[in-house]
Amino acid sequence: MQYIKFYATAVFFCGILLCRAQENHYQLRGTVTDLDQRPLSGATVKVGSLTAIADSDGRYHVADIGQQQVQIAVTVIGFEPYVATRTLTPGTNTLHVALTPETNELAAVDVMGLTKAQDANRQAYNVTAIDATKLYNSTMDISGALDRVAGIRVRKSGGLGSNFNLSLNGFTGNHIRYFIDGIPMDNFGSSFQINNIPINAAERIEVYKGVVPMWLGSDALGGAINIVTGDRYRNFVDASYSYGSFNTHRTVVNTAYTSRSGFTVRLNAYQNYSDNNYKVTVDAADINTGAYTPGTTIRRFHDTYHNEALVAHLGVVDKPFADQLLAGITLGKNYKEIQTGARMVSVFGGWHRRGTTIMPTLKYKKENLIPGLDVTVNANYNLGWEQNIDTVDARFDWFGKSKPTGTNSGERSRSLYKYRNNEGLSTASFNYRIAERHALALNDNFSTFRREGSDELNPTNAQYERQKRTYKNVLGLGYHYDIKDLWSTTVFIKHIHQHNRDGADAANAMDKLGYGFASAYYLTPHLQLKASYELTNRMPTAYEIFGDVENQEGNFQLNPERSNNANIGLNYDFALHRDHRFSVNTSLIYRRAYNYIYYRLNNNQSKIVADNRDGVETFGGDAEVRYSFKNWLMAGATMTYQHIMNTQKYEEGYTGVSPVYRDQMPNIPYLFGNADIAVILRNVGKQGNTLNFGYNLLFVHDFYLYWPSRGGDKLNIPQQLSHDFNVVYSMWDGRYNIALEAKNFTDARMYDNFSLQKPSRGFYLNLRYFFNKQ
Amino acid sequence: MNIRSNTLLLGIASAALLASCNKSERTPENPGNFIIAVTPAASTGVADYLLTASSLDTGRISTAGQGVEQDGTYRYYVTHNNKFFSLLYGQGNPGAVTTYNILDGKLNKLSNFQTETVQAFAPVDDDLLIMKISRNITNPFASWYRINTNSLQIESEGQISTSAPSANGELAHFSWIKQVGNKVFAPYFSIKACCGASFETAYPDSAWVAVYSYPDMQLEKVIKDNRTSFIGRYFVNGLGETENGDVYAFSASVAMTDGALSSTKQSAIVKIPANTTEFDQSYFFDIEAASGGYSISDWFYVGRNKFIVLLNTADEKGPYAAGKTVGIVNVVDKTFKKVTGIPAATDIKSITSLNNYSPQDGRFGYVGVNLVSGVGYIYKIDANNATGTQGLRVDGGTITAINHLN
Repeated sequence: MQYIKFYATAVFFCGILLCRAQENHYQLRGTVTDLDQRPLSGATVKVGSLTAIADSDGRYHVADIGQQQVQIAVTVIGFEPYVATRTLTPGTNTLHVALTPETNELAAVDVMGLTKAQDANRQAYNVTAIDATKLYNSTMDISGALDRVAGIRVRKSGGLGSNFNLSLNGFTGNHIRYFIDGIPMDNFGSSFQINNIPINAAERIEVYKGVVPMWLGSDALGGAINIVTGDRYRNFVDASYSYGSFNTHRTVVNTAYTSRSGFTVRLNAYQNYSDNNYKVTVDAADINTGAYTPGTTIRRFHDTYHNEALVAHLGVVDKPFADQLLAGITLGKNYKEIQTGARMVSVFGGWHRRGTTIMPTLKYKKENLIPGLDVTVNANYNLGWEQNIDTVDARFDWFGKSKPTGTNSGERSRSLYKYRNNEGLSTASFNYRIAERHALALNDNFSTFRREGSDELNPTNAQYERQKRTYKNVLGLGYHYDIKDLWSTTVFIKHIHQHNRDGADAANAMDKLGYGFASAYYLTPHLQLKASYELTNRMPTAYEIFGDVENQEGNFQLNPERSNNANIGLNYDFALHRDHRFSVNTSLIYRRAYNYIYYRLNNNQSKIVADNRDGVETFGGDAEVRYSFKNWLMAGATMTYQHIMNTQKYEEGYTGVSPVYRDQMPNIPYLFGNADIAVILRNVGKQGNTLNFGYNLLFVHDFYLYWPSRGGDKLNIPQQLSHDFNVVYSMWDGRYNIALEAKNFTDARMYDNFSLQKPSRGFYLNLRYFFNKQ
Repeated sequence: MNIRSNTLLLGIASAALLASCNKSERTPENPGNFIIAVTPAASTGVADYLLTASSLDTGRISTAGQGVEQDGTYRYYVTHNNKFFSLLYGQGNPGAVTTYNILDGKLNKLSNFQTETVQAFAPVDDDLLIMKISRNITNPFASWYRINTNSLQIESEGQISTSAPSANGELAHFSWIKQVGNKVFAPYFSIKACCGASFETAYPDSAWVAVYSYPDMQLEKVIKDNRTSFIGRYFVNGLGETENGDVYAFSASVAMTDGALSSTKQSAIVKIPANTTEFDQSYFFDIEAASGGYSISDWFYVGRNKFIVLLNTADEKGPYAAGKTVGIVNVVDKTFKKVTGIPAATDIKSITSLNNYSPQDGRFGYVGVNLVSGVGYIYKIDANNATGTQGLRVDGGTITAINHLN
C-alpha cells in the first residue's frame, strides 16, 4: 500500500476588497480545496460561533462576524482539520484553505458519487440524502429519484403525472409528510407534487425515516421528505429541455440574479407534457357485448398530462436585518386525463381533472439576530382550486370507440365539481446556541383549512353542506448536544393541537404530545453508529375528517394515529488498496402503529371513508453499498426488506382472534432494491469534456394483492426488473450537456399496482445549459 | 463487512419469508357442488374466497391456503343456467364478471366478461338481467343489461326513467328485481338522491312495485300500497313467488328522513295475486304484531308457502341491518314461528342474506351463521318444526353466500 506523501500547506490571504462594511463588522470568504486545488464541497468552516458550508466549488462566505480576533476551524471528513486564530480587518477578508488528507490507514475515503448530501446523511437521524445535482442531466422528477432510496418504493399507476403512492418503511399516503426547504407541502395542491416537480428544482432531497427532526414541524407518522432547493449560486442560469417517447416534453429553467447591494430575483419555472400513449397489453372488452379479447396490445389514448409551474422570489440577501427576506409567488396548473380506473379493464375516454395553485409566499431568515440566535419565518396561503370533470355520458373501450349511456351518468359520475381549500400556513423556528456544544431549538407551525366547493351541473349538491374548518398548531422544542466528530444527541418534544369545526354545532379538539431522540457516535472517524426513536402522532387531515363531497365521505369521529418508531444504523467508509473505496450504510427499523388510519368503502359503497384500525407492526432492514474505483468508475446497490404485520387482533364486532392477525400486510412490496453503475471518461474530444455512461436496475420482488395466508388460487403483482441506460456528454466543464436515456430497455411489462401497467420502453434526449457567475 | 451484513439481511429476509409461507395450516379441500363465498374479517385488503363443499350438513372448510381469490372488495354472486356468476361491485366503474361451473367438484372458470357495476340482478328467462341504478337526482335513469347466459355476452341494453315511477320529485331506487310470469317486477324505495341525504325520502309510508315488460323493459304500471313502507331494502330481494304464482312482498319499514327511521307503518307482508298486477287489499300480514315486535330484514323461499326470515328487534332495525334472529313464516296461513337451535343473537355477528340455499322441498333451507367468535357454521333450518341444526363449519372468514350447481 503505497501512499503518495502529501504535505500540508495552509495558505491565506487577507485583503480589503470592500470598505463599505459597517464599522466593527467583518466578513470572511474564500475557498476550501485539497492539495490538488480540487474544491472540497461540504467543508465546514467555523468562525467563532458562526458556521458556513462550502458550496460545490469549495467556496464559503461568513458574514456579520462580531469580533476582530477569531478562531477559524475548517473540517472535512477524511482530511486533517485546519485550525488557526486570525485577526480580521474591517470589511471582507479572504482565506483560502488547502487541506491535507488524513494520514491514517483508512484515510481519504472519499467515495466518488457521494458529496454534499453526505453531510445530511451523517445526521443522527435515520436519514438518506440524495444529491440531486448528480441527476440534473436526467429527465427525472423528484419521485423518480426517491425511488432509488433504500426503504422507499414509489408505486405509480402509469406514466408522467400519474398517481403515485410513496411507501416509506411500509407507511404510505398521509402517513408521510413532504416539505420544501422545511415548509410543509400539505397545501400546495396537485400542481406541486413530487411526481411533477423536476429533479433540477432541488439541490438535494432528504428522507427522514420514522423519526422526523423537530425543526420539520409537522405531524408525520412514518417519516418525512424534505426537498432542499438551496441557494448555491447568487447568479446563474440552469436551463434544460428534453424530448422523448410518448410525445414527452419537459423544460426547466432555474435562474437567480443577485446584485452587489443584496437585491435578488430568483425564478424557477418548469413544464411537463406527455401524451402517455405507451403500449399496454390488456383484456380489451367489446363495449356492446362485454366480451374480452385477452392479450390485446394497444396504445393508451386518453392519458395526456401536462403541468406548468413558476416559483418566483424577489427580495434582499445579506442585510443587517436579514440574511434573506423574500416575497414570492408560486403559480401552477395541471391537466390530467384519466385513462383507467382501479383496474385496467375500466377504461375512460373523457374524464379528466384540472388544478391550479396560486400561492403568495414570504420567507425570512436571519442568523445571529442576537449572537447565537437564528430565526426563520415562512408563510404562505394557497388560493388555487381543483376540479373534477366528468361530462361525457358514454362508455369507452380500449380502441377508443364509445357508446352513449343514454343517461346523465357521466363516465363514472357526472361532475364539474370545483373546490378550493383556502389553506394557509405559517412556520417560525428559533435556534439558539447556548454554548459550543449546546443548542436549543423552538419551532411552531400553524395551518388553517376552509373548504368551499360547488358543482354547476348539480347546484343543489352543496345544499346540506356545512362550513368545514380546521386549525392545526404544531409546537416543538428540542435540545442538541454535540461533540464534533464524536458524539451528537438531540432530544425533542412536539405538541400538536387541532381544532375541527363542522358547521355551527359540531366541533372537537385534539391534543397530542410526542417525543423522541436521535443520537450518533463515531467509533472511528469512518464508522458511525446511530440510534433514534420517536413517539409520533398524526392528526387526521381535513379530507379525512370532512371528506371531499366527491369520492370521499367524512368521518368526524376519526382519532389521531400514533406510532412508536425506532431505528438503529451503521455507516462505514473504507478503502482497499487505496483505489477501491467503499461506503456502507445499513439500518434496522421497528415500527408499531396504533389507531392507524386507513380507507374503506362506506355503507352503500359509493364513497371511500377514512377509519381507525388497531395497527401494524414492522420489522425491517435496509442496506446501501457504494463503491468507486479511482475517479472513473462508480457503482452502488440498495436492498430493502420489511416485514409488515397486521396487529389488529380482534375485528370490530368479533370476540375471536382475526384470521389475518399477525399475517403480512397485503399489497405492499416487501423486498426490493436498486443497483447502478457509471463510467466517467474525462477529457473526451477536448480538455474539460466528459462522457458518462450509466446503468440503473430496479428490482421489486413479487407480492400478493390480498392477505398471504388466505386462499389457494391467488392474485399477485409480479416481479419487476427494469433496466435503464443513459449517456451524458458534458462540454466546457459542464456548461453544455447532451444526454440520452433509455428507460425500461427490455420493454418488460411492469406493474406497481395490480393490473395497472407502467410505461413501455422509452427513449429521451435531454439538452442542458448551465452558467454560473459568482 | 458489507458483504457479511448483506448476507445477514438476506438471511433474515428469507427466514421471515419461509416462516410466513409455512404459517397457514391448510384444511384439506372439500370438493363438491356447493360453492361457499367467504370473506376474511379484516379492515383492509379484503377479498372473497370461493370454496367448494360436498355437503352443507357436515364437514369443515377454511380459507387458510384454500379457495379461489376474487378480485375486488365487494363481490356479488348469482347462479343461473347451472353457471355461477361472480360480479364485481366497482363503484361507478365498469365491472368485470367471472363465470364458473363445477367440474369434478371443483370450480372451473368459463369466462370473464365486462358489464357495469350494478345494484340489482336476477335471472329472467335464459338471461341474467342486471341494473345500474342512479343515486344522483341529476341523472334520473337506470340502465339495464340483458346478459345471455349461454353466450356469456350482453344481448341488449337500455335505459329506464327512475323519476317516472313515483313522479314525486324523488328517484326510484330499485331494491331488487324479479321475474314474475313474463314480466319483471321491480320494487323500489324513493330517494332524494341529493346532497347529504341521498338515501333519505319524504315518502316513508308507501310501498311501490314498478312492472316492466320483458325483454324490452317498458314500464307498464306502478302499483302502490300505503298500508306499509317500501318493499325490500338496498340490495335485498323483498319479493317471493309461491308455487301457484302468487307473489308476496315484505316491507322492513326502514325508510329514513332527517337521519332517523321515519315510517309510521309496521313491517308487514303484502300480496300480489297470481296473474294480476295489483296489491290484494284483503291480504295483510302484520309481522310486528305476529312476532311480538320483530321486523323482517331479509327472507328466502323454501317451498310450500314457507319463507325463512331474518328478524330485527326494534332496536336493531335499520336500512343496512340484516337480522340475527331466524323465523319461519307461512304466508298463506299467516303464521310465524321463531326458529330454535340457532345461537343467541348476541353470539352472532351476521347471517347470510342474499345467497342462501334451499332444495325448495317446502321444508329445508340453509343459512350461514357467522359467530362473534370468528367461526362460521352453515345451519340447516327445518321449516316444519322451526329448528336449526349446526352443519358445515367454516373457518377463516365470514360466510357471505351459499350457492349450489349441479
